[in-house]
Amino acid sequence: MSSETLVLATSAMLFAVGAAGALLHRHPVAMLMAVEIMLNAANLLIVLGARVRGGADAEAAALIVLVLAAAEAVIGLALALAFFRRRTVPDVNEAAEIRG
Amino acid sequence: MSDLFAPLAVGCLVAVLSALAVILVRRPIYAAIALLVHSLSLAALFALLAAPMVAVGQLIIYSGAIVVLFLFVVTLLPTGGRELAPGSSRLVMAAVAAAALLVALFASFAASAPLATAASAVADLGVAAVGRALFGPLLVAFELTAPLLLVAMVGAVVIWRRHEPRPRVAPKPQAATEPRRLVMHQ
Repeated sequence: MSSETLVLATSAMLFAVGAAGALLHRHPVAMLMAVEIMLNAANLLIVLGARVRGGADAEAAALIVLVLAAAEAVIGLALALAFFRRRTVPDVNEAAEIRG
Repeated sequence: MSDLFAPLAVGCLVAVLSALAVILVRRPIYAAIALLVHSLSLAALFALLAAPMVAVGQLIIYSGAIVVLFLFVVTLLPTGGRELAPGSSRLVMAAVAAAALLVALFASFAASAPLATAASAVADLGVAAVGRALFGPLLVAFELTAPLLLVAMVGAVVIWRRHEPRPRVAPKPQAATEPRRLVMHQ
């Protein structure tokens, strides 16, 4: 097995693990962590593509994905905290409204 | 790249195991620590894949900012963010969905073009090349990250303030005071 295949398989496995976590949990913070794993898997694939094809553009795109992940985490965690101001049971199925 | 196989394998193993720990560990604080290990292992993988700039970005943005944010939020949660135990049917469903996704991903990768690092590809991937790409073809996306981060910051504050609990007791109406009159001293 070549190194490229190994990293490719790792990326696929990480994405599947993240998807399983997002399906498994009902805790909003745990779901966000699973989504972060999926984003990391996609980023690993982008960097592998940059390595194989020799494109610096792809590496720059990976940096932009990192910034997007930061913005997503900030909004998601703010929503999770706002969710917990009203309830103590951590279940996203309880969230039916976004207005306070 | 063949001489890097062993470190890459170790990095991949740590990344997958820590990802499994993130989703399977019961207490959210341990999950956050596992996420830290995961992001560090990915930074190592990026460095091994000759992407030093992305590796440093991963260290600073992910390990330094996002994981710490997760830790803060987990400690702020009521009851330490403990979760209702998911039922075994949920676990089975998630495992089946992940396995199906994995098979689909492997099939699509197997159908795509074979991977081999071109000998000419390795040369020009330094920081300067990434900077040229950021300020060249990706300039619009790069500039749009600034308003994106600003909007995310303002949005987080707005979401937080909107859900501020209203005071239980209505504030006392202020005693009506007579407007001050200008008194001329005589």
